[in-house]
Amino acid sequence: MTKSELKFLVVDDFSTMRRIVRNLLKEVGIANVEEAEDGQIALQKLRAGDFNFVVSDWNMPNMTGIQLLREIRADEKLKHLPVLMVTAEAKKENIVEAAQAGASGYVVKPFTAATLDEKLQKIFQQMQKAGTLS
Amino acid sequence: MTLSTASAATNDSPELEALFDSIVSAQQGPSSAPAVESDDSVKDGGELVSRVGHLTRRLYDTLKELGGDDALEQAASAIPDACERLSYIADRTDQAAHRALNAIETARPVQDQVRQGAVDLGARWDQFFQQKLSVDDFRTLVAETRSYLGDVTKHSDIVIAQLNEILMAQDFQDLTGQVIKRVIGTAQDMQTQLLQLLIDFVPEQKRPAMESNSLLNGPVINGQGRSDVVTSQEQVDELLQSLGF
Repeated sequence: MTKSELKFLVVDDFSTMRRIVRNLLKEVGIANVEEAEDGQIALQKLRAGDFNFVVSDWNMPNMTGIQLLREIRADEKLKHLPVLMVTAEAKKENIVEAAQAGASGYVVKPFTAATLDEKLQKIFQQMQKAGTLS
Repeated sequence: MTLSTASAATNDSPELEALFDSIVSAQQGPSSAPAVESDDSVKDGGELVSRVGHLTRRLYDTLKELGGDDALEQAASAIPDACERLSYIADRTDQAAHRALNAIETARPVQDQVRQGAVDLGARWDQFFQQKLSVDDFRTLVAETRSYLGDVTKHSDIVIAQLNEILMAQDFQDLTGQVIKRVIGTAQDMQTQLLQLLIDFVPEQKRPAMESNSLLNGPVINGQGRSDVVTSQEQVDELLQSLGF
């Protein structure tokens, strides 16, 4: 699988942020993007579809991003999915919590296109090492 | 809720006072000292209710003495207004963001087309200067270049219009800025009044426990002098690295 074939799920309760992330992903050649407005909907979509990558906010109604991350890591079929947290939560505790829960990367809002790209590339490299990306 | 109760109290004080008195006297044992501050004597639910009753009574009486019920009534009536103003800001900023995003999504493919046309024609002109083009190919190239120049004008007009749209989408800042200032005023008034209430009524030993320990705090508004938050992506990366991630 190549980068442009990856199917992304962007999870954020604000539609503007989902659109921004979607546009930034398009910029790096990723066009196959779906959206979810909270962790619960995201989990349903992930279990139903063949996603390869998750970009998630933290603070969302119904199910937060950290709960979503834990659900993903606890699910035999989903646990290998890369999960990049993109969030305004900037306490050190948050970052440690996310890292321990198995986040693949952590970007604090407000962020630049360059930062998002850098974190994506880093995760792509790890996927290439693991053999899930050519 | 507390605030609306306080403001309602100004309307039917006698009834409310009777209610307070009945609760307090019903819960009052023979040795009921109104010792609200010594908090290790809570033994059962009854005692708790009694103490809440005393506390409420004291709060109510003090507020009346201080004229605080008027202040609170004012503050309480300011809340719906502030909420309305805040949702106005949420709506305006949401609209503005979508307006800008719409413009960008409209302009982007047009600009991509302009760029791709220039790349294609440029490559063929390079071939011409390397004398690799036939006369017929050259004629086609000249005709296509001419039509491309016409397209660039049209496409630029579209992009310029969308750039203007993005420009105009920023007009929310002026409106929301004014509204935000008014809400800040209201919030500061309420903060002063509520802080005074807390200082008067929260026992000394309870104060540190009131700090928030949650993981849902939203963006850091002012990170200066705080060691528990990060203020840049570099700090996030350093922290993760130090943890071995």
